Amino acid sequence: MAEIATVCPYCGCGCGLYLHVRDGVVVGASPSRSHPVAEGRLCLKGWHAHEVVDNPGRLTRPLVRRGAELVEATWEEARSAVVAGLGKTLETDGPQAIGVLGSARCTNEDNYALVRFARGTLQTPNIDCSLRIQCVPDAPQPGEAWRAGVSTGQIAELDDADLVLLVGSDPTEEHPAVGARIYQGRQRGLRVVALSTRKHPLARLADLHLPVRPGGELRLIASLLHVVLAEQGMAGEGRPGAEDLRASVADMSPEVTAADTGVSADLVRQAAGLYLSSERAVIVYSAGLALSPQSGAAVQALHSLAVLGSGGSRRQVPVLSLLCRNNLQGCRDMGVAPDVLPGYASLGDDAAVQRFEQAWQCELARGVGLSAWEMPGQVRAMYVMGDDITRSIPDPEATLSALEALDFLVVQDIFMSPAASVAHVVLPAASFAEQDGTWTNLERRVQRTRRAVSPPGEAREDWRIIADVSRAMGKPFPYEGPQQIFEEISDLLPIYAGVFYPPLAVNGGIRWATPEARDAGGQAEVMPVPPPAEALEAAASGLRASDQYPLLLAADPTLRPWDGEVMVSQTLTVAGEFTVLTKDYPDGMLCLNPEDAKRFQVRGGRPVRVVSPKGECQMQVRVTDEAPPGVALVPHHQATRLGIMEISTDQAGGRPVLAPTPISVGPAE
Amino acid sequence: MTARMLPHERIDEFVARLMQSAEVVAPRRVEVADVFYGPVSSPGEVAWDYGTAIEPLKRFLLPQRETMLRFSTDGGLKVEAECDERERVFLGVRCCDVTGLGVMDAMYGGDIPDPYYMSRRERSTVIALTCLEAPEETCFCVCCDAGPFLTEGYDQQWTSLPEGMLVEIGSERGEALARANEDLLAPAELDQIAARYRLAREAEKTFGDFKSYIAGAMAKLSMNEVDPEVWEQAAMRCTECGGCTYLCPTCSCFTVTDRMNGSEGVRERHWDACLNNCYAREASGHNPRPERSDRLRARFFHKISHQWAERNGRQACVGCGRCVVGCMAWAHMPAVTEGIRRGVMT
Repeated sequence: MAEIATVCPYCGCGCGLYLHVRDGVVVGASPSRSHPVAEGRLCLKGWHAHEVVDNPGRLTRPLVRRGAELVEATWEEARSAVVAGLGKTLETDGPQAIGVLGSARCTNEDNYALVRFARGTLQTPNIDCSLRIQCVPDAPQPGEAWRAGVSTGQIAELDDADLVLLVGSDPTEEHPAVGARIYQGRQRGLRVVALSTRKHPLARLADLHLPVRPGGELRLIASLLHVVLAEQGMAGEGRPGAEDLRASVADMSPEVTAADTGVSADLVRQAAGLYLSSERAVIVYSAGLALSPQSGAAVQALHSLAVLGSGGSRRQVPVLSLLCRNNLQGCRDMGVAPDVLPGYASLGDDAAVQRFEQAWQCELARGVGLSAWEMPGQVRAMYVMGDDITRSIPDPEATLSALEALDFLVVQDIFMSPAASVAHVVLPAASFAEQDGTWTNLERRVQRTRRAVSPPGEAREDWRIIADVSRAMGKPFPYEGPQQIFEEISDLLPIYAGVFYPPLAVNGGIRWATPEARDAGGQAEVMPVPPPAEALEAAASGLRASDQYPLLLAADPTLRPWDGEVMVSQTLTVAGEFTVLTKDYPDGMLCLNPEDAKRFQVRGGRPVRVVSPKGECQMQVRVTDEAPPGVALVPHHQATRLGIMEISTDQAGGRPVLAPTPISVGPAE
Repeated sequence: MTARMLPHERIDEFVARLMQSAEVVAPRRVEVADVFYGPVSSPGEVAWDYGTAIEPLKRFLLPQRETMLRFSTDGGLKVEAECDERERVFLGVRCCDVTGLGVMDAMYGGDIPDPYYMSRRERSTVIALTCLEAPEETCFCVCCDAGPFLTEGYDQQWTSLPEGMLVEIGSERGEALARANEDLLAPAELDQIAARYRLAREAEKTFGDFKSYIAGAMAKLSMNEVDPEVWEQAAMRCTECGGCTYLCPTCSCFTVTDRMNGSEGVRERHWDACLNNCYAREASGHNPRPERSDRLRARFFHKISHQWAERNGRQACVGCGRCVVGCMAWAHMPAVTEGIRRGVMT
């Protein structure tokens, strides 16, 4: 029996775990005690990570479509089909007609190779990752390498924190390693202030819970800023940008915002007081903040609050942006986005473009491409690497039909995903346990994943598949292994400069930093950004409940976020734990406060008819005081397919958002 | 008491001889700083100065994933059982983990012996290593009568003295092993045996903050006098990671599943956890323990109630402290027994 140190393949925490290997088979998983994130703990997913590896559902041979059927093929046949299919689209519709999706499940090396394939080999700027939509309010700061949405702090900072501001996040469900630190911290007096619509366990145990109305997050944070800046006076004094910030939230006193946020002025002032008096505060937020069209602005406002600082010394407060997937950070770092190059280099930066063109020995597609949610309807061919697009994007049925209608679709994955089932070519990829490489966790920790066993059947590493296709298209990549790719990343991406290919996973790897932050001794300098007036305005005029539609329905990304996810639902022993929703609430779990359940005379477990201005559907009710009175909650990944929620656009970043929608609830027919 | 001395300079030779006829599973450092019990390939690999291993011995007797049988449905059903018949010596095992084996034996060797577990167990020799001081700050075996020194449950128990290992014999198997290697051993002197008792007393004093009020909790649990609010509060903390059960030397829950590949199939047994929502869920969807608080109560009743202690021969917590390390929240054994005692969880 050998123990192979690697990293957990699920959420963005990046816990160190060991895979136990006997006779070439992965037979178990256990936590690493010495790993700086895991510290001897794993969540249920991590404990069963080994079970996805030789799952009978794994793709083991390339498949090529022959009429209605996907039939097994050799790699040569599959590769020829890919080259012919993409070639035909290139010839008839040009490179703009091809879309490429990268994956927050795959390694940095896989994603980097894919970006080179898209912008270099195919000459298309259409490259993205669909998860960007679901959970990261990704708001670039003009001219800055740093982006709001990137953690400035690290998880271990919770160990000696005296206050945690938990915004829209339920780490017990989403990021257990972070939740664990908060539970441990409470034992030594860590105060918890929770801003969230749902009264999750940590909100219940919190010193203060600010039960914000869905969509009111931006104005609630703005009112915190208002109190911190306008009333406490001292905060932010002399910081660049602080005056603009003060002006922007001048009208956002908690007395004014209370009507929109549902949080009393008194609670806001108490929270601001705790924040200002804490010497070692940490701000934590997650996908739960992505509930409104203003969430991009809300994230910026949070980062601004952090910059103003807390405590006597007004120390800049570290922010943890809890990303939902193991390598979502790395995927973005590698430039899997339509509007930047790897390392967040600007498309307009000639020197940066030249650096890549020189290294890749070809011209780059320099335009701003289509985003993941724009691609399916607007391109003619797509290349999808390990991306669960039908889970992420609102209206999965429409997305699947759009994929089906493509002239050519290649899907490269470890399981037969919905997208793979309608593809023209399906390529079997290696899982996390079958390849070497690096992942970057939510605190920018670049860690090694290690090959513990060989891929099943003919499955191959993602980067190798891409390199083979590129070679067949006449643009060979010079890479022999992930280390060589990583060294190029390290050479070309200033943020990865000084990060060498980490030898081990257990040591926790190395955290990347911007060159500016490295020069400044590690602390990232983030400029406060005033919340745009129109966003603050829009947040106040969001959709409201009315007599006809007396409840406000919100899609909650923190509610059972892993249920039905492709990998956990393929584990042998705990798949049941992650498919409870599907079994008990097949149409959608509508969480209602007991008061509302009584008011509308509905009972737990029973189906109800839900009507919104947009349409109607049936769901099963769960009666729980986790939902505040007047608000109904449904897991985000179920909400995408209900067809009754308003889809609006996040003003910062343009992603479609399932906006809080007024509904009425009545007996099912 | 029968005891021998194994001089320090002969330990490697002793281990090398063990390795000739068996797989020697001992604490060893993996990667940088983590310690697992695992098969050693040379005597020098044994980490004699370790704290506690990340996991107990369970993985070797009840693997997280094991093949029970292979079958095929081609031309009638053919079934072939798989049984691990390797001889193993568990060497340098902490006393808590040795005690844990006794509870597992009661589960898998009781009225209906489990052939998979028992075939491994019967081929196992257990050499305990006493703790001269608390190995980790999370250790609380002193609350559980499971260390830092043992009086039973081992084949041999080794205590490191300045002049060598004091080898106590606890079974016929342990005695036979000593006899077979008599040339490496010397009879123990009376003052060496006395030193062992003095060291045991001193070691007990080094155990720290984590106390587990097992006796008080056992009384309340057994009499059904735990305030239900305690379970509600524990449930609010527990994240159902399963870590406490997977890391526990005495947790024995499993599930059985068939993996089919065409007409060939494998029946596998996997670790499962009574804390998992779906562990007791029935095919109809009915769940006899629907709430997390129900499941927590069931687990702790199983661990430390009088009713189960009577069946197992002792209560099932051995104070190894792994649930303290592995808990994603604050719902481990000492936290819950404290909660039961005070009627409220912190």
